[in-house]
Amino acid sequence: MKTALKHLSLLSLIGVITIFSGCKDDDPEPENIQELITKVVLRFTPAGGASVIATATDPDGEGSQNLEIDGPINLTAGTTYTLTVELINGLYDEGEEGYDITEEVREEGDEHQLFFSWTEGTFSSPAGAGNINTSGLVNYDDEDTNARPIGLTTNWTTSATTRTQQTFRILLKHQPEIKSNSSTAVDGETDLDITFFPLNIN
Amino acid sequence: MKKYLFLLHILGYSLVAPGQQQENCNLSLRGQVLDDGGKSLPGATLFIRELKLGVVTDVDGNFSFSDLCPKSYVFEIQFLGFESLEKKIRLTKSDEINFQLTSENKLLQEVVVSDHHQIVNKTNTFSTLTSGSLEEVKGKSLGETLQGLTGVNSIQTGPAIFKPVIHGVHSQRILILNNGIRQEGQQWGAEHAPEIDPFIANNIVVIKDAGAIKYGTDAMGGVIIITPADLPTDQKLGGEFHLIGNTNGRAGIVSGLLEGGVKNLKGWGWRVQGTGKKSGDSQAADYNLSNTGFQELNYSASAGYHEETKGIEIFYSHFNSTIGILRGSAINSTEDLANAMEIEPPQYTEDFTYAINQPRQEVKHDLFKLNAHSRKGNNLFNIQYGLQINKRQEYDLRRGTLKEIPALGYLLYTQTLDGDWEISLNENHSRCVGVNGMWQDNNKIDGTQTIPFIPNFTNYSAGLYWVEKHSTKKWDLDFGARYDFRYASVVGFDFRNELYRSQFSFNNASGTVGGTYKINQSSSFTSNLGSTWRPPNVAELYSLGTHQSAAAIEYGLLLDEVTNEVLDIDDVNFKTEQALKWVNTYRIQKGKLNMDLSGYINYIFNYIYLKPKGVTQNTRGVFPYFRYTQTDASFVGADLSLQYALSNSLAIGSKVSLLRAADQTQNDYLIFIPANRYEVSLRYEKERMGSWGNFYTEVKAKYVATQTRAPRVVPIQDIIDAYEQGIDLIGEDSENFDFVAAPAGYMLVTFNTGISKTLNDSKFDFRLSIDNLTNTSYREYTNRMRYYADDLGYNISLALKYSF
Repeated sequence: MKTALKHLSLLSLIGVITIFSGCKDDDPEPENIQELITKVVLRFTPAGGASVIATATDPDGEGSQNLEIDGPINLTAGTTYTLTVELINGLYDEGEEGYDITEEVREEGDEHQLFFSWTEGTFSSPAGAGNINTSGLVNYDDEDTNARPIGLTTNWTTSATTRTQQTFRILLKHQPEIKSNSSTAVDGETDLDITFFPLNIN
Repeated sequence: MKKYLFLLHILGYSLVAPGQQQENCNLSLRGQVLDDGGKSLPGATLFIRELKLGVVTDVDGNFSFSDLCPKSYVFEIQFLGFESLEKKIRLTKSDEINFQLTSENKLLQEVVVSDHHQIVNKTNTFSTLTSGSLEEVKGKSLGETLQGLTGVNSIQTGPAIFKPVIHGVHSQRILILNNGIRQEGQQWGAEHAPEIDPFIANNIVVIKDAGAIKYGTDAMGGVIIITPADLPTDQKLGGEFHLIGNTNGRAGIVSGLLEGGVKNLKGWGWRVQGTGKKSGDSQAADYNLSNTGFQELNYSASAGYHEETKGIEIFYSHFNSTIGILRGSAINSTEDLANAMEIEPPQYTEDFTYAINQPRQEVKHDLFKLNAHSRKGNNLFNIQYGLQINKRQEYDLRRGTLKEIPALGYLLYTQTLDGDWEISLNENHSRCVGVNGMWQDNNKIDGTQTIPFIPNFTNYSAGLYWVEKHSTKKWDLDFGARYDFRYASVVGFDFRNELYRSQFSFNNASGTVGGTYKINQSSSFTSNLGSTWRPPNVAELYSLGTHQSAAAIEYGLLLDEVTNEVLDIDDVNFKTEQALKWVNTYRIQKGKLNMDLSGYINYIFNYIYLKPKGVTQNTRGVFPYFRYTQTDASFVGADLSLQYALSNSLAIGSKVSLLRAADQTQNDYLIFIPANRYEVSLRYEKERMGSWGNFYTEVKAKYVATQTRAPRVVPIQDIIDAYEQGIDLIGEDSENFDFVAAPAGYMLVTFNTGISKTLNDSKFDFRLSIDNLTNTSYREYTNRMRYYADDLGYNISLALKYSF
């Protein structure tokens, strides 16, 4: 028994030493952060004209600094624009894989949808105040594999009269297995939720 | 001390005279209980564990049992002031035997003895779940099991994740000793249940004092000690088999155990044990709780050699669980959270299923332990080595194929080496000195494709302690001191996903002093004052990210408030957390009355908690953010546990836990503090019913009050609306807050009944219990699921145990 005790202590000691020395101080591998959206670009393009661009940039990801939203968005009255939404992951450099998230959302269009809301009257088409908290229409110009809208491309006709200090909100929802003809902005998880202000119709 | 527990035990199983009617079960055993000098001990108690049967010796120390079967029984013999004795005896014929007890003063003052480690001092305030009362809750998780004790609650995340809370503190502030080893998964946050299979436990002791000096730092609230039965030392094969079914969750639990000795090798014993659990979605009173299923597969094996003065034991256990988190609680932004809190039944509520999807936790825990002891005269030496491997992965709702890979994954290795030396200096005085060493290594599991929430780290800890005990006729006194050192080296990734390195070291002392005054034969008063500290947890210093289901961003103490860069610990005003806890207990066990009344004050200096600091916006919307901050916190409370025997077979009981906690620096309330609770029970027992025995039936009613001492309520919509107007509702007034008000008080009724049948060498136990008998819809303040859904509806549980 005495020897058993001795053996035990020895064994423990060997175990400890082995594992202690087995631990190397190598740098851990950084992760590929694919999901993060740090920058959103809205591109309002009139037929044959130059695009009006608005961006929202997150300077520090999960950090405590606020999102920087540039503006104002100045659109021309009575004009039809095609709006494309670009989603960017700033942890990657431009051109690197992972930088542009837009395509990924399009490919998984059957579980994503963009919703919009704005100050009522900003647009003559769609009329109303959008489909986030109200049940207005949005002119979607793209669709997923189930022929349901995604919202990365949409069409907008501005009001015929001048309007200033309007708000414009975009909301991207992840709706795995629940995106349907009746799913709305309250369903699923939020991937993106940004309110642009001000938007002016001149 | 154990005598009280023991009497309580007997009281629990009624004060009926011996007897167990069986065919062929007509053997008797008689004899005498003697002290070390051969003098008879009148009033000593003898208890047959298998039969849950107790007798008391007469004036001449004589006892007799009749109607025993030809098989092995474990006898527990106790007398105040003497070391309790456990002896397994195999009966083949009616026999006579004398039991000799050793005066306690000559040995150590132990209450529960496991591997010859003393666990509870006479001067501790503690509660115990003995094997008998554990039997009645078999199948429940560890956290649920512990809720049966006064002063112990749990922080819950849904129906399957229970984190024990002692006197209002939890997680890093209490210690769990699993078979003698500090459970290291305990330092994970409140939403992680301890990885322990309660089927392993033969008894569970909760020490409610601070600084149970032997086990190291961190024991600010107390210590939970889970102890398996001693390994058998005789050759006979024994075993038990449990089968349990629950209606809620349509759950099934199977557990089995086999143990025995080794032929021709006296003193050697072994045990293997395993448990499997599977549960589908649980149900609230009115709807299904989708994705709250869980499954568990645990097993353990041990072997050892024991003789009078020496022993060696090897133990291995594996714990593996997959736990679903309520689907409707998975949210990505504060807007989602506002939606989720309003929708009832929760979003994504579907029909019952056993499937467990995202979000879910997958947890594995392996424990290997080797320990030995040796006694030489008045000296006892213990040595113990432990290795724990804790693997944790959390799956979240993520885009596309990412949902198939965990959003969080860590692998934590812990090795410990403990040694101590206990010596009896004389009849009244003993001493124990010991050392603890720990090495711990945490690494992220690569491939999560998220910025790690906490960094990789390596910890080295060492501790040294000294405990002195003295007894007189009227007093038991003890004194303990301890010194610990910890060094940690950290490597992680900041908000830009860039590597940083950091390190810190701490050292500090703990101390405890306690005394028990024996007022008379039936009552005593215990007072214990303990001071302990704990090194900060890595999460408290370096956390970065959004917590699953919380819609809140968390920042560690070392992150710069503006730039989020990791600072050196010397550059922030950090002080180690230090607790001073004073517990006083009055115990009385007189005639039909058995009562424990404790009052406590726990003042924690530099208490680390998540303080709401402000509102920030990122591309997913507006988020409140929290920073780990320090304050002084106080926990003041009282526990009452009372039993009164109305007759030989009928007893009433009551349990009360009261607690008031406060943030002293800010003069504010703390969140998730258990509300006051009151329980009454009525229990009827009958030892013999024809060829059946051990019948009990019990009704319990538990009332949990509304937590009125809760922080202010700031609804999420208010936070978002104010932010749009340029107002930071949280930053302007950084008081603690909660998104919704504390839920209303509730009352739950539980019914339990059970009966046993013995056939030759085997025994069958049947149990039926109904939880939430009235199918009440309620929400518990300390259950994080309360934001989204009601707590569990009724559950009918049927259990069968076969043992031989």
